[in-house]
Amino acid sequence: MGAKPLPIARVIGLVKNYYLESVVVRALRGVTLNFDEGDFVALMGPSGSGKSTLLNLVGCLDRPTEGSYFLGEEDVAHLSDDQLSEVRSRYLGFIFQSYNLLAQYTVVENIEVPLLYQGCKLTAETRARCVRLANLVGLADRLDHRPMQLSGGQQQRVAIARALVNDPHVILADEPTGNLDSRTSDEIMQLLTDLNRAGKTIIMVTHENDIAAWARRVVRMRDGQVETDTRTEARPGGLPVPESSPAIQASLGMPSP
Amino acid sequence: MIRLLTVLFAIAFFTLLITQLVSDKGRRSLVLALRSLWLHKLRAMLSVLGIIIGTLSVITLMAFGEGSMHDALEDIKRQGATNIIIRSVKPPDDSSTTRRTRIANYGLTYADYERFLTVNSIVRRVPMRIFPQEIRNLERKHNGRVVATLPEYVDVNTIDLACGRFLNEDDDRYMLNVVVLGSKVADRLFPFGDPLGQSVRLDKYFYKVIGVLRDRMPTGAAGGTSSQSAEDFNNDVYIPLHTCKVRYGERIFIRQPGSFSGEQVELSQVTLTVADMDQVRPTGAVIRDLLERFHQKGNDWAVTVPLDRLEEAERAKDRFTRLLAVIASISLLVGGIGIMNIMLATVTERTREIGIRRALGAKRRDITMQFLIEAVVQTSVGGMIGVVFGLGCVFLIPPLAQWLFQAHLPAQVNVDSIFYSVLVSIGVGVVFGLYPAWKASRLDPIEALRHE
Ligand SMILES: Nc1ncnc2c1ncn2[C@@H]1O[C@H](COP(=O)(O)OP(=O)(O)OP(=O)(O)O)[C@@H](O)[C@H]1O
Ligand SMILES: [Mg+2]
Repeated sequence: MGAKPLPIARVIGLVKNYYLESVVVRALRGVTLNFDEGDFVALMGPSGSGKSTLLNLVGCLDRPTEGSYFLGEEDVAHLSDDQLSEVRSRYLGFIFQSYNLLAQYTVVENIEVPLLYQGCKLTAETRARCVRLANLVGLADRLDHRPMQLSGGQQQRVAIARALVNDPHVILADEPTGNLDSRTSDEIMQLLTDLNRAGKTIIMVTHENDIAAWARRVVRMRDGQVETDTRTEARPGGLPVPESSPAIQASLGMPSP
Repeated sequence: MIRLLTVLFAIAFFTLLITQLVSDKGRRSLVLALRSLWLHKLRAMLSVLGIIIGTLSVITLMAFGEGSMHDALEDIKRQGATNIIIRSVKPPDDSSTTRRTRIANYGLTYADYERFLTVNSIVRRVPMRIFPQEIRNLERKHNGRVVATLPEYVDVNTIDLACGRFLNEDDDRYMLNVVVLGSKVADRLFPFGDPLGQSVRLDKYFYKVIGVLRDRMPTGAAGGTSSQSAEDFNNDVYIPLHTCKVRYGERIFIRQPGSFSGEQVELSQVTLTVADMDQVRPTGAVIRDLLERFHQKGNDWAVTVPLDRLEEAERAKDRFTRLLAVIASISLLVGGIGIMNIMLATVTERTREIGIRRALGAKRRDITMQFLIEAVVQTSVGGMIGVVFGLGCVFLIPPLAQWLFQAHLPAQVNVDSIFYSVLVSIGVGVVFGLYPAWKASRLDPIEALRHE
């Protein structure tokens, strides 16, 4: 093997405290982790162990009390609010437990939202890209439906398409299958696995061992600290990166500006 | 000053609007605002009720103010803005002479008429003798008025000939028995035929009809507070002044029917024309002085300066405007608070949406603009609804008032007021939407996402 590639995201000594009236909640107590490009990480741990807090920090939704966070080369731990918005819109994609689609928008419009906040012009090209992504997640025939008209699994697929539209460096998912039955969960996980094989970096919080089993690496947390960090081999039958389907590769490519 | 400010405001607003609409983000917000407005029609309607009522009342009141102003102006134009009208007025009935002779001897005289010549700003004098007279054609008769005057009458009054011609110099010089009929007189006496060339009888003599007038608008009625009552010209017939002097004598004797008393007048009215608008009021004062000096025995004359009506109309319009300002500002305040209230509720209701948008990369500014656009869309739609209802009122109220109370309510839509009220509604949206929008933008993304 050649030189190890530079990690796409690094957190170093990350501390997050919440200051309530009388007590200080120490949600993270010095977390140091590297996330490599093409990683598929499952964050596990008991409730209250700080998984979501960590994911929010990695997702630039919040700022740490202490420590640094490098996204690529850039230290993003202490950027301003607007700069964090910028980072989110360019480099990050989010998938939530409760889908969090915008109820007033159709499927395509939901997928377009991150592009809007990137300052993109909505053209036929971007529209085509959104349609391709809807296609990728298997919703080509639902483009003009509203979230209310879709099942939970379908909504989560829209959310995944939305998380992909800005071609993010990292996709962050907080219990993406938490509201879904096991069959639908498997479908969603299959989709995420395919994306990961196509080269996407995914960091996912989960409670379930079944779900974590899809990942290549499992990080267990306890009381705001990393307990174990184990690299499992990818699922049996999993394909290495270059061999993923050309269709997925094509769908993921950003249109040339 | 206010105009300048509003124009500046409008420019600022429209540049903002255009920069917003150029970006897809802004356009999406606008579409979303319209969609959610459509979704909550009733709610939005109630929250902008204040603005609807505000613009409605502004449009309506402005229209009535403008209408009465316009009426007054038209009236002044008909009477002539550079004219001064002097009338003989019967003095109050307490002078001893009247009781003894039973004949009231009053009014303007030929001497007065000559004296007006000494005021050099006057360019035209038109004397008139006006008295009631039965007008006959065979067995048909009509109780009208005779107006004996000079050909210059046409220069101080706006009259329209239906056919024939008005009196001319020769009619007067040769004291011809010719007459021009008012429209109603012509209708009454010649219902079937053409009156031109026919003759009518005034008193003992026959007069040849040389012209007929079209309907004339009465003057002096609009605005209400004027000293004179409305004059209806359609019952008048016009004869040359000299003809009148030879047929009726130097003084007109008017018998009151059924009593022994009567009145004697030399001239009923003199209309003076002044060279230029600025001279009208000073000349009016000079005329009053002059008449006061020579008519020491009483108030048997009245001077009307049509231009004075302008001031009256302006005062009335001012009153309207002040009332309007009070009503408008109260209702806009109420409307603004309504909008602020509904927007605060909306922000709370849509906290999660705000969190989602922030997570997907929306900056604070984007959130502020989104909610601001929503507030402005609501208020401007409210403003437009108000304008539409206001225009409805303007077109419906005058005929209704005419029909129900026989009241003349002139109304005229003021285009400026439409423009301003829409602009002000937009302004209200901006001002009162700013705080809720700002509040929305300050929400912490994580907290907002967690919100149920
Ligand atoms: N906004 C906050 N204010 C105060 N304390 C907080 C806040 N957010 C999280 N915490 C605390 O930080 C700790 C970690 O919370 P976190 O949400 O990261 O847990 P988690 O691992 O995601 O748990 P779960 O599996 O239940 O989602 C908890 O003790 C929680 O009470
Ligand atoms: Mg959690």
